[in-house]
Amino acid sequence: MTTEPTLPIPISYIAGNYYLFSIDAVTYLRREHHICGVLIGTLPQIPQQNVFLGLPLELMPEEARLLVEKGVACIVDEVKVQNQGMKALMEEDRKRYLRELESQGLQAMRLQANRKEQQREKTLKKLEEKKAKAAKSKKSSEDPDPEPAPAVADGPKDDPLTELFADSQPSSHSQTTSRRTSTTVAPENAMGITPATARPPLPAEPSAEQLLPMPQVPSSYPLFAHLHAEGYFLSPGLRFGCQYLAYPGDPLRFHSHFLVVSAEWDEELDLMDIIAGGRLGTGVKKGFMIGGAEKENNVDEESVRTFSIEWAGM
Amino acid sequence: MASTQSTPIATPELSALTNLISSTTSSDPLSASTVQILHNLQHQHLWTSLQVHDLKDPNLRALSIGEGLATTPSEDQTVPRYLISGIPPHRVYTHPDEQLYLLERGLREEDIELERMFVLPTVKNQPWSLRKMASVFDSLSDEADIQAKEASLDDGEETNDGAGEEKAEKLVEYYEYRKKARVTKEWGGKRLLLAMVDRGMGGDGTVVYYVVQEGAVKPRQN
Repeated sequence: MTTEPTLPIPISYIAGNYYLFSIDAVTYLRREHHICGVLIGTLPQIPQQNVFLGLPLELMPEEARLLVEKGVACIVDEVKVQNQGMKALMEEDRKRYLRELESQGLQAMRLQANRKEQQREKTLKKLEEKKAKAAKSKKSSEDPDPEPAPAVADGPKDDPLTELFADSQPSSHSQTTSRRTSTTVAPENAMGITPATARPPLPAEPSAEQLLPMPQVPSSYPLFAHLHAEGYFLSPGLRFGCQYLAYPGDPLRFHSHFLVVSAEWDEELDLMDIIAGGRLGTGVKKGFMIGGAEKENNVDEESVRTFSIEWAGM
Repeated sequence: MASTQSTPIATPELSALTNLISSTTSSDPLSASTVQILHNLQHQHLWTSLQVHDLKDPNLRALSIGEGLATTPSEDQTVPRYLISGIPPHRVYTHPDEQLYLLERGLREEDIELERMFVLPTVKNQPWSLRKMASVFDSLSDEADIQAKEASLDDGEETNDGAGEEKAEKLVEYYEYRKKARVTKEWGGKRLLLAMVDRGMGGDGTVVYYVVQEGAVKPRQN
């Protein structure tokens, strides 16, 4: 199942950061354009649970810029979109939207009721089978002491029954009637729906005045674009004390190959940094890569040169 | 006990290294560090047929060490001036794919002829930049040129040292493939060793060596 979002994908610019809120866009960009970003959404109640994070996806400015340059995405001023979109919403639209939410809630309620019904039937069937089996075994082994056996069998049988009917009491007359009631749920019983996105009510496509220019990127952008063009997946390198981590394929499948640090062509480097980076990289089975855009006099186009460094072991 | 005779405190003799440096070079710090690193390669790491090359010479001809480095002191003392080359006692670097190729054919690293490697001598705290690094790599000759030169020099020089026909064949196959791999940069492009010596205040003269390669070359599985 491949869901392709409509291009260009709107990247939300909020308070100086770039976010994606659509899971379709996130998977599409990862699959087709090798842009992974960083998932930053936690559970509001348990923000310290930060091992598995969810939407939204935060993009580095470099990633956002690259996508805009490719024509895959556009930068949208999200605050403006929300403000203008809500103001432009007509009373009629608002009502229609609320009605839609309500019908979604009803649908959810119906599904849940159906599931409960199915579970109930299943347990009832099981109980009946058990009863039949117990009766059979009673018949077959009539003789020694018939008294204790049914007592033991009855005990556990009662518990699931009461438990089962406890929470579905209003509709527990007979199986046929309860099925009928489950398909028709009263509107006041509808589930409350919390919409995950602000579009449908807002227009799906931003207007021209809500678009922003290209993202501002650090001077390491040429190196980023160069490595990305070579097929590397890049992620922020803070965890390894570098600028980017370069993976030869999807980070879920590969270990990264390089700790990447960018430098200007004439920027003064401390040799000690190169040694330290090389040593760190070798220590974590990666290479240390330093690179930057070559600035030759009178040549306008920039070519990027990179150097990979590893400990020589001597 | 307290002897009235005062023993004259003799200044200790200069180390062999200091003698070597003062006898072979001018006061140019770059040439001094070059000699120091060469000395380290020769005596600590047992490299052989060591040579020094002047980076200003387009052909990188070897200078004889005795003739004195830096007859003309360089204008900018931070620009790298010399390269050392030599043959290590064992292979210093094997690209992971090359290693796989060798394994598949049952060859071992010791079976392969040792090769001359270039070493870039640097000093701790020497200012450095990408431009300088790139200029050093640019002065190394391209693999295509080297192979063209080799082809004109000798055609079909067979080395049969009686190590078994099969192995010799595989070695020939390997050398052929390596030639191709060098042009395609499949096993990495130009490479050299970056040697950094700790000199100056409190420096203990330790030399560290790092393999630097041009381009993105995947790391070894250490």
